[in-house]
Amino acid sequence: MAEQETATTGVPLLNRLGIIAVVCICGWLVMQTEILGARILTPYFGSAIYVTMGSVIGVFLLSLSVGYMLGGWLSRRRASMLLLGLALVAAGVWLVLLPFMVEPLCDRLLDAGFSDEWGSLVAALGLFGAPLVMLGMVSPTAVGWLTTSAERSGPNAGLVMSTSTVASFSGTIVTAFYLLRLSVGRTLRVSGLVLIVLGAVLALRWAWAAPGRAAEEEGE
Amino acid sequence: MRKRSGKAWPGAALAVMLIAGAVTVSGGRTAARDGTVIFQRNSLYHHIYVLQQGTVRHLRFGRQAGIYQTSVDTARPHRHVHEYTELAMCGLLYNPSPRRVLIIGLGGGVMPRVLRRHFPQAEIDVAEIDPDIPPIAEYYFGFREDERLRVHVNDGRTFIRRLRRQDPVPRYDYIVLDAFSGDYIPFHLMTREFLEEVKGVLSDDGVVVANIFSNNRLADAQLATFFNVFGWCQVFLGGRSANAMLVSAGSEVEPLTAARALQHGEWLHWEHDFAFDMRVVARRLRPGLRPARNAPVLTDDRAPVHHLRRQPPTDPWAETHDVVELRDGTRHEGWVLQLTQQQVIFQLKGQEGEAARTWPLGQVRTVTIEGRQEFPAAQ
Repeated sequence: MAEQETATTGVPLLNRLGIIAVVCICGWLVMQTEILGARILTPYFGSAIYVTMGSVIGVFLLSLSVGYMLGGWLSRRRASMLLLGLALVAAGVWLVLLPFMVEPLCDRLLDAGFSDEWGSLVAALGLFGAPLVMLGMVSPTAVGWLTTSAERSGPNAGLVMSTSTVASFSGTIVTAFYLLRLSVGRTLRVSGLVLIVLGAVLALRWAWAAPGRAAEEEGE
Repeated sequence: MRKRSGKAWPGAALAVMLIAGAVTVSGGRTAARDGTVIFQRNSLYHHIYVLQQGTVRHLRFGRQAGIYQTSVDTARPHRHVHEYTELAMCGLLYNPSPRRVLIIGLGGGVMPRVLRRHFPQAEIDVAEIDPDIPPIAEYYFGFREDERLRVHVNDGRTFIRRLRRQDPVPRYDYIVLDAFSGDYIPFHLMTREFLEEVKGVLSDDGVVVANIFSNNRLADAQLATFFNVFGWCQVFLGGRSANAMLVSAGSEVEPLTAARALQHGEWLHWEHDFAFDMRVVARRLRPGLRPARNAPVLTDDRAPVHHLRRQPPTDPWAETHDVVELRDGTRHEGWVLQLTQQQVIFQLKGQEGEAARTWPLGQVRTVTIEGRQEFPAAQ
């Protein structure tokens, strides 16, 4: 009977809000990084829309799809919160270091004789692929955390996708209208630090909850 | 009932989008305030219009009337309809015989056409990002490629980057940066890093000329960036337009005094028989102009070009002028056209359309050009 009740009420409200906050921050950062990414590559591969923007959008979609798959797998793991936390820390470190990777990579690609098209595609993949895979893992994992019964899976998936996309919208608009006036490097550093803190919080929360959960499982 | 209203929302949202779409599409019909549309095409970058207004043919990007990339008078194809194509020749005052020219941004091709006409032996390379532009320049604006005048469909920055990877690196002695239009402001063609790359393909006696709009804060940022990279930069400020040219050069070229610019302008004027008055171009030099103190240097990391473009200049350039004080105590503001050992020829401010005044130096107490006293010469 008690088990039945937790299934209908689901995850406590505070936890739900926390999960949604993580989803929103990551949704925001996906699009912010995408716009900054096109800006970063333009000096090397030109401002031809179909080249730079096309490469960046394509790579982002591909990386996200890999991230979704990994996130789905992760959502069924016991240590999903720890793993996702570590992934976000790694993505944050990557963003902080990103400005230093751009010139060596792009120069090497141009030296190797890559065309603007292939060069920008490879550069986008090398620079943004890894952090985007990690950001893509967030949504499916969050759906997994929110869902305690099959009945809730649809609404939870809808909630996560919707809030994440609204956050992406905000990230797009704020970046395009405002953040581009600032230093791209500094914006990336601040975003990276936010991700590192977020990931650390998730990992610490997992560590803090672990003994309790172990006891609970033993009791069963 | 509740269920029904719930279903109506997606329908309403769809209707709003359809209406918005319809409004956008119906806005596509243009009012022909600036001539008859004789050609239009949606390219990758712009909606390109070619307009005919009397004998003058305009190239316009986008719908905003009155802002043209190029205009050509089909009855007198060599006439300079816009001031900026005259001003862009100001680099000749520093290097009078360019052998190798690079132009970033083709438009209607007026600048390469003028340079080809007066320097038939020069090698001219043009980088133009939009593949739809070169055929339009040829068909409607009398532009012709030849074996020493080539158009490369490429982004200006990538083009220069690739030049720098050639062995040996080609060196140009006349580089024109003219790759912007009203809305399209390519930030990556304005940054310190880009100008460093330009410097890398500039010969020691070469000159860089950048066409900019002077009536906003971006102009100061661009000037500050040129100062940062080249050490000096001089401005030729348009009189009848908001265009201005920034000029910097290789290590062997010195900045000009107003008097020297006028001398060179005079010489070029008689040498070349331009379709415009090179002496007037020389008069547009503002030798002492410096960027406003708060002007940022643009970098790849931080180039808020659209933001700066919308802000008015802190200290408008157009307010600068020369001053002549006469021995009778009168003070005149305007522009010095010529300052010789015997006389000063002076265009009065507000009377640009009228004949210039000439005073023998015996009547003159001081001549100040761009805030610097030129007569009597400071010891």
